Amino acid sequence: MIIRDPVARSGQQEPSGHRELDDEEPEDTQLYEKLGELTRFIDKTIKTISQFSAPMSATTEQLPDATAYLKDLRKLTEDGTHRIMQLVEGIEENRKRADMQLDALVNGLAGSDAATVASKIMTIRATLAADNKPLMDIITALSFQDLVAQSVNKLVTIIEEVEHKLLELVVVFGPYTKGAGKAEASKASDMLKQLSATKNTSMKQDLADEILKQYGFN
Amino acid sequence: MPADLNMKILVVDDMSTMRRIVKNILKQIGFTNMDEAENGQEALTKLRAEPFGFVVSDWNMPVMPGIELLRAIRADEKLKHIPVLMVTAEAQKENLIEAIQAGVNNYVVKPFTAETMQEKINKIFNK
Repeated sequence: MIIRDPVARSGQQEPSGHRELDDEEPEDTQLYEKLGELTRFIDKTIKTISQFSAPMSATTEQLPDATAYLKDLRKLTEDGTHRIMQLVEGIEENRKRADMQLDALVNGLAGSDAATVASKIMTIRATLAADNKPLMDIITALSFQDLVAQSVNKLVTIIEEVEHKLLELVVVFGPYTKGAGKAEASKASDMLKQLSATKNTSMKQDLADEILKQYGFN
Repeated sequence: MPADLNMKILVVDDMSTMRRIVKNILKQIGFTNMDEAENGQEALTKLRAEPFGFVVSDWNMPVMPGIELLRAIRADEKLKHIPVLMVTAEAQKENLIEAIQAGVNNYVVKPFTAETMQEKINKIFNK
């Protein structure tokens, strides 16, 4: 940008203090207006940065811990899920043994007057068999762990990114000071919005089936 | 043609719990011969080393994601005939279309039920 000097062009001495702008030089007026605008913007930005520098420092202090907690959460849910599945699998095996024992008992009683007892035992077997589906459902329901882990991974990624950006800001904008305020809430809100956006773009099996159908998968 | 219950099935997922869940469901359906891999790369190595009749794969995995595994299977003369079922939380419409275009045989969205998985397997093998 070329800045012309109105004093040099008019050949007159610049009066001290306030300088009047020439109406015949609209470009200079525009320039002064722009400079004023820029000065106000810089002033406002400095004030904003000074307001946020303390909370940003506090946020940066907390984020490494938050990341560690979330990583722990992933491990804990994984271990917990394995434990529950181990128990369920044990129940399944136990029920198989019970089934074999019942078979032996029914075979022993079939030729005797105890046929009624045998019938009752068969009823018990049917009752036990009814547990098969709920047991399988328990195992399948545990797939929540995979989804939780994926959400946690997303959170960890977001937090690491925010941490990096905040550290950059702290380095660029000044000394490390204590304090907390709006910055944490704002960042947390952003993270939730991002997660929510991901959630909203997911689809259910019904919709997947509909699309599969369109591509000839009946 | 109904599925051969003795065929070897490869379960591919980076989460050990998901591999276990899928194997449990397959066991419940009646399959007995299963192996597992943590990512697409490990799966490809296993698929090239021994014969498998069916692949159940996750999408989001480190090293090699499920969609790349699927493309690699379809690009390999010896492997391209193997049916592939994607079991994934990648539930965007674009993902499903991408998988279909890459040659997936069917697609299950997490969370799913044992019935859904059985239904999809039946559709793959009873064509």
